[in-house]
Amino acid sequence: MLSGWFHGPVGILIAQLVIILALSRGLGFVAARLRQPLVIAEIVAGIVLGPSLLGWLAPSVLAAVFPAESLQSLKMLSQVGLLLFMFLVGLELDPKLLRGRGRASVAISHTSIVVPFALGALAAPFLYARLSSPSIPFVSFLLFIGISMSVTAFPVLARILTERRLLTTEVGAISITCAAVDDVTAWCLLAFVVSVVRASNVGGAVLTTFLALAYAAGMLVLVRPFVARMAARVATRDGLTQGIVAFTLVLLLLSSLATEMIGIHALFGAFIFGAIIPKDGALARLLAEKLEDVAVVLLLPIFFAYSGLRTEIGLLSTPGSWGICGLIILLACAGKFGGSTIAARLTGLPWRESSAIGILMNTRGLMELIVLNIGLDLGVISPTLFTMMVVMALATTFMTSPLLRWIYPGERARDLVATRADEGEPFRVLVSVSHAETAPGLAVLGSALARSSTEALLALHLVRPQDRASFHLRAGSEAQEALAPLLARSAALGVEARSLSFVSGEPAVDICRTAEAKGVGLVLLGRHKPLFGGTVLGGTVRAVMQEASCDVAVLVDRGLSEIRRVLVPFMGSGHDRAALVLARRLLESSGAEVTILHVVSPRASESSKRQRVLVDELFPEDTHHIRLSIIEHAHPEEAVLDEAKEGYDLVVVGVGVEWGLNDALLGRHRERIVRDAAPSVVVVHHALAAAPPVTESRSSSERPASVAEAL
Amino acid sequence: MSHAIHLGATLRLLRVDAGLGLRELARRIGVSSAYLSRVEHGLDAPPTNERLGAIARELGIPATLLVDVTHRVNPFVASYLDEVPAARTLFLEIARRGLTAGELARVQAFIDAELPGARRPVREERAAGLAELLAPERVVLGLECSNVGDLLDVAASRLARATGTPARDLAALLRRAEDDAPGAIGSGLHLSRASVAGAAPIASVVVLGRPLREATPDGLPVRVAVVVVRSRQGGANQVQLLRVARLGARGLADALCDVRRPSQVIAKILELERVR
Repeated sequence: MLSGWFHGPVGILIAQLVIILALSRGLGFVAARLRQPLVIAEIVAGIVLGPSLLGWLAPSVLAAVFPAESLQSLKMLSQVGLLLFMFLVGLELDPKLLRGRGRASVAISHTSIVVPFALGALAAPFLYARLSSPSIPFVSFLLFIGISMSVTAFPVLARILTERRLLTTEVGAISITCAAVDDVTAWCLLAFVVSVVRASNVGGAVLTTFLALAYAAGMLVLVRPFVARMAARVATRDGLTQGIVAFTLVLLLLSSLATEMIGIHALFGAFIFGAIIPKDGALARLLAEKLEDVAVVLLLPIFFAYSGLRTEIGLLSTPGSWGICGLIILLACAGKFGGSTIAARLTGLPWRESSAIGILMNTRGLMELIVLNIGLDLGVISPTLFTMMVVMALATTFMTSPLLRWIYPGERARDLVATRADEGEPFRVLVSVSHAETAPGLAVLGSALARSSTEALLALHLVRPQDRASFHLRAGSEAQEALAPLLARSAALGVEARSLSFVSGEPAVDICRTAEAKGVGLVLLGRHKPLFGGTVLGGTVRAVMQEASCDVAVLVDRGLSEIRRVLVPFMGSGHDRAALVLARRLLESSGAEVTILHVVSPRASESSKRQRVLVDELFPEDTHHIRLSIIEHAHPEEAVLDEAKEGYDLVVVGVGVEWGLNDALLGRHRERIVRDAAPSVVVVHHALAAAPPVTESRSSSERPASVAEAL
Repeated sequence: MSHAIHLGATLRLLRVDAGLGLRELARRIGVSSAYLSRVEHGLDAPPTNERLGAIARELGIPATLLVDVTHRVNPFVASYLDEVPAARTLFLEIARRGLTAGELARVQAFIDAELPGARRPVREERAAGLAELLAPERVVLGLECSNVGDLLDVAASRLARATGTPARDLAALLRRAEDDAPGAIGSGLHLSRASVAGAAPIASVVVLGRPLREATPDGLPVRVAVVVVRSRQGGANQVQLLRVARLGARGLADALCDVRRPSQVIAKILELERVR
């Protein structure tokens, strides 16, 4: 048989690891396409490998690859992985999230535990009668169902929020705080439940509770100051020696051993030990970096596989059992989603924001699976109920992303616009004026962009250092000469600009530094059409683009006096997106009409659909000011030049070789769009977009896994 | 020309920088807080030398340095002149020749070289001089702006890299310190400061191309701004601020009004600081 090929248990184990890793990563690729977190793929991979699919289709293969006697080693490995993983979850738990939270977060997090717990407890008698045996104490069963309904997956939540750039919004801040609180509460409750289940009598339960409290106190009072001192040493010396890593691991294992011996699960000790490591120093970050790949990439999928091997969808053979499964999903969502949403609404958040919080809190992910496996190991829940609960965990995690996109769609676009402008600060533009001649066009564009808020337009003029004449007498007038036309023009357009001027030998550096100190969202430069040789994107312009930490736009002015019709060529790069954002501002502030020319290269058409979605996201409403035309053209540059003849005031284009505009030192391009287009042109450079986006989005799905990603 | 540093504004700056409340300082030196407040706002005559001594002690700064800033004859000098009348003739000679700061620096150098052991134990501060905290890249020339906030932002942009703090955050720190106690201390000098954990002390000097008309205690527009960033508040830091204030009293704003290169600014400051 097959098992003969593997030459014994070690061979089987290695073969199992290969299959598990390959399958979960392969499905992970599919999940990323469906915009689902990796955890979905890993859970599904486990189920596929288990009796539900493989065992059903080819029982002999299952028996050969996952023979019953090999499961023990798989289980042990998965437990080690879980220990490390819970340690990482503890490491990522920032106590700052638990302290100083607002009234809203307190109310929501408490409600989001109490309501699902209560609903679970209400359903417990019904489930107990159908899916449990009388040998299990009813109290244990009830507590356990309650817990498994109220779990939230902190790591998967953190990842969804980061991906959708919601972390800094109110919704994100409240959800992440609530999830952190929920996490701590749920684990404490679970430890209590496990101790109740394991204790044979009342005296035993009391003893366990007492020991658990003594353990927690010991960790906080004795171990924590010690670990803090150790962390301080790591922070001052550079790096974390292997000795310290080994020592930390020993402490971690001792902590887990202690909780296991007390009778509350070993995972609890790992979590607590991670949680007491100080988060402000380097230790927590360095440890997480070191352990993450082994724990999350290698060991965690084993847990999912093991858990999938115990999941038998086949047990849900009757419509009745599917009905119960549906009921469980319904109850879980009603409790968690309903409870959090209503609590959020009652604290005064709008319905849309409230339901977004509810959807996020309803994510259960891996945390639920850990709880369920503990329950199955303890014998509190039967394999049938276990399977139903796994389906519930899968369903609630799966629905999070699409539901969030549906309920809370505008957010992403709004966030993109606010990209670099610091949280909550108004968008401001720094206009660098080198010569008075470039001023009028810059004034028109700058005023249009900065109309939204006061003091949003800052005009900067840098004076060349001069050794000769007493420039102090002259410099004043030079700065005023250079800036006056811009100030006058923008004042005429109803925007009051502030002016700033000083002597600078390195204009590019000073423009970037000033932009940073002023916290502006966009640096706007002026440039004349180059006559002979010389590129637009050279010299100071290139230096600013490469050094600035915000977006940079260069205006090549052809007598810009009014902005009514704007053309945005688009192929999807980060710079193109920045150009779109800029055009969107023009639309919002001055009602300009924006035409997006989406150029599709005949060769690479498979990526175009995604970019279409992107355009839709950026301009969710406002359809009558937007015209989207998609054309297929082998030479994007030509396409733009053709379209630009149709009476536009301004072309807004991202930097990029596809447009013949390159900001790199080598590889000169002819910059035909800048030279030959009839209207004025703005070339936009996005600070964060080093790589073209098609590969960017692909690589983001392939970047190394993190704890957050695993859920 | 007289370069009167405003004692009240300077005291307020030092007090706030030391983290002392008005009432707390008043209680410690045994005056009413109303009186101290009037002094800080220049509404009452400057305190006597004894009171200044008490204030200096509470702020952890040398009394002689504080008296220096007030433009009074230092009591230590007065008692020396009584002891050694011949010295008066020398001071008179210096006054008659109208020695400039640079020339006085040469006299100081001569004294240092020829009479090294003669220094009396007026052990002044060990804090580094302003020139040592500067670098050409942190000197801004010809700034024209419309308010102090812009000035602080520009200084922050030059200080950010050396302190390892984002310019935006540093600017916010400077603005907050400015709100607590205005940096305009008269004689055309603006003195700003911020504390950044773990930062080695550094400074930036901004020479204004167009004098900044803001509320100053003596009504003179600001022409030079000095921005000091250091690790934490405390004794040595107040000494540093006070020494910069004394530079103002020695005519810093006038000395820098026609420099054209950052290195010249540092050289001028070094010269002003040479006379200890």
